[in-house]
Amino acid sequence: MNNTLPSLLALYIPLGVIALALVLLMLTRKIPFQYSVRNLVVRWKTTMMTAVAFTVVVLLLTVMVAFVGGMNRVVARSAHPGNVLVLSDGATDEVFSNLPINDATEIEHQPGVVWQKGRALSSREVYICINQPTTGPDGRSKHRFLQIRGVEDPDIAAQVHELELLPGGQWLSVGGVQESSTAGSPGDGKAASVIEAVLGEAIAQELGADRGQESLQVGDTFELGPRRWLVVGIMRAPGSAFGSEIWAKRSIVGETFGKQNLYTSLVLRAGDAASAKALADRLSHQYKKSALQATTEAEYYSKLSESAEQILSAVFLVASIMAVGGVFGIMNTMFAAIAQRASDIGVLRIIGFARWQILATFLLESLVIALIGGGLGCILGYFVNGISASTMVGSNDGIPKSVVFEMVVDPNTVALGLLFTLLMGGLGGFLPALAAMRLRPLESLR
Amino acid sequence: MKFLLLIFKNLLRNKVRTILTCLATMVLVFVVTMIWTVVYFLNDLTEKKTENLQAIITEKWQLPSQMPMSYAQPLSEGAASHPGDLRPKESMLWLFYGGTIDPENKTRDSLIFFIATDPNKILTMIDDLKKIVDPKVVEKLRQRKDGAVIGPKRLKTINKKVGERIKVTGLDYKGIDLEFEIVGELPSGQYEDLAIMNQDYLNDAIDAYRGPSGSRHPLDQRRLNFVWLRVGNSEDFAKISNQIEASPLFRNPAVKCETFGSMVASFLDAYTGFIWFIKWILVPGSMVSMTMVIANAISLSVRERRKEIAVLKVLGFSPGRIMVLVWGEALLLGLVSGLATSGIAYVVFNVLMGGIRVFPGNPPYPVPLDCLWWGPLVGGGTAILGSLLPAWSARSVKVAEVFAKIA
Repeated sequence: MNNTLPSLLALYIPLGVIALALVLLMLTRKIPFQYSVRNLVVRWKTTMMTAVAFTVVVLLLTVMVAFVGGMNRVVARSAHPGNVLVLSDGATDEVFSNLPINDATEIEHQPGVVWQKGRALSSREVYICINQPTTGPDGRSKHRFLQIRGVEDPDIAAQVHELELLPGGQWLSVGGVQESSTAGSPGDGKAASVIEAVLGEAIAQELGADRGQESLQVGDTFELGPRRWLVVGIMRAPGSAFGSEIWAKRSIVGETFGKQNLYTSLVLRAGDAASAKALADRLSHQYKKSALQATTEAEYYSKLSESAEQILSAVFLVASIMAVGGVFGIMNTMFAAIAQRASDIGVLRIIGFARWQILATFLLESLVIALIGGGLGCILGYFVNGISASTMVGSNDGIPKSVVFEMVVDPNTVALGLLFTLLMGGLGGFLPALAAMRLRPLESLR
Repeated sequence: MKFLLLIFKNLLRNKVRTILTCLATMVLVFVVTMIWTVVYFLNDLTEKKTENLQAIITEKWQLPSQMPMSYAQPLSEGAASHPGDLRPKESMLWLFYGGTIDPENKTRDSLIFFIATDPNKILTMIDDLKKIVDPKVVEKLRQRKDGAVIGPKRLKTINKKVGERIKVTGLDYKGIDLEFEIVGELPSGQYEDLAIMNQDYLNDAIDAYRGPSGSRHPLDQRRLNFVWLRVGNSEDFAKISNQIEASPLFRNPAVKCETFGSMVASFLDAYTGFIWFIKWILVPGSMVSMTMVIANAISLSVRERRKEIAVLKVLGFSPGRIMVLVWGEALLLGLVSGLATSGIAYVVFNVLMGGIRVFPGNPPYPVPLDCLWWGPLVGGGTAILGSLLPAWSARSVKVAEVFAKIA
């Protein structure tokens, strides 16, 4: 579910009302529906052009909302409801946090933390954001932001974040480095150690694309920061922010990037969402040994959707303005239809059809055009579902995370497209239909 | 002239249709104006200057950039260590200090973010500020180490005025809480939500800090965030940049030296896909939609005037002239609507709102004057495109067929 779309009620109630109005119009009309349909078919060029304008507007809206939907899904899928993210007090993001290493054990012994086989389900991590220069497919140099997560114990970290490896890979070794005779430090050509890395599926594909591969594979090496890295495993992380992360041993990441004697974050597993909330509150307000800021992972990741919300606001602004253009377009079409069929209207009135029946007929026509165009827009828009895109997600307080995600066209997106098109059709058709209704029968026959 | 008059009169015959088509065109030109303003803004940010360049030095790999203070001196000198090495014309350090004035209730409204720097450099190094900041304010900041100059938006948010004192509880610099006297207000715009403080005040506080076991502050060796250098031209920049990046003094962490424009460009690289979508899908999509609306209006108008077109042909109008007549109507409509929209957008956004706020937190960016040509161009261009088929249809009206139907 796309949780930053207007709330379900705000979306489905207007859609339901319009659908109900449509059904009522259809049921109570006296003028045959075929009359309207035939008129649309006879004036097929005009119908088509108006519908295409609607198609374009709804298609663009669908694509833009699908993009935001993909961002939101990444954020939503990254959080485990039972996890608590512990940062140092005042840190607005993982990258700004400095937790003393010595405090970790005591924090893990707090009531509420789940233990398994004598070990706390707690992932001790150093999180770093890297600016990686690279070369685009056009040969132009560009930059990419990469997230590196140094984990103390990869097995525990995988368990806490509920991630698993694709077949053929393995988690990081105890040392986290391997000797390589072929891969030295970038540029020096000497034999040196390479850092073991486990890559998220999405970032493996992104880095693979740099060298014309579908994805980096286990055994491939790549340069990142001042060192060379060796892929030892690829994480299955469908649609989560972890799919865009590179994992390595905490000690190696800390040493390489100057964060040796600290953790940026501890991720603790509590029994369930309620226990996680209680644990987070306790650590934030009652833990006295050091000042901590603990939040549930769900809360932390929901904050990251701030950027998506900002984009969504811009999407609605642009789409609404374009929709106004569409409304004027359909008004033109309907006014022309009424002008052409003034004598028809006169005849219909003289043989006894009420004014509101005329209004209903023309309103139905404009709604049918809108439905054809908008429906086509939704169908075409559906083809972007699953297409890969990348952008940054984040809150206004932290460093945004670069994420690769799939665009999402879900039922809400389609409902939004349909609501938009019906509103455009209804608004655009109402004034002309009103004008048609007010035509005097004798005058229109002259 | 008569031809123009005819075009004009034709448009006035169905005023409702003309107005609706104009409004549709205006709305869509408005969308294009907004989007292109954003594109201009992004281009402007990444524009490459050639003279009086400002270089910015940051940590090479990590975000946020955090370098040791020991880098300050050699970096300020462009890592010049050999005879013949080039030194920058001027330099400036930036340290960041963020905190809250309400530690019990750390909401976004209680936060305040300071750039700690040398007050002497504010008017000489920051291009945007030297034109708009009152030198007296800078003088006050120079005189008071605990002085702070705060942007009007932040002052309003924290409900403080110049002359009042604030106590800030450090968030990133945990345990370093500072008291300030607000000595002035920054101008509206880019810095309206920020504050500037004296770097000595922050440095002294960090140096004096001792943890529970007498340890120095965790950020002690990572307090320097940016170093700005004023260099001459791009050749000087290249040389100084090379001196810095090749220097053995800056290895852990490594640093990079780039122009401000290229730094912004590297940030924008992360949004390449999104920007591509705006440029190549959203704008053309809007234009297709607009083309359809115009095409529809013009074709309706042509269909209603088949008899009249037949009469014109009988009177001696060539098919080409008829086509130009229809094109002319569309073009006039598109040009006028486009010009009116871009003109209105220019005045409304720039005069009433100060521009379009592209990113939250960023100052509004003015709609460029160029919109006065791109508005009519987009309006006129799409009108021509939209009227291609209707104009061809008008050109192809067969006089005999039309009169046969009437008969």
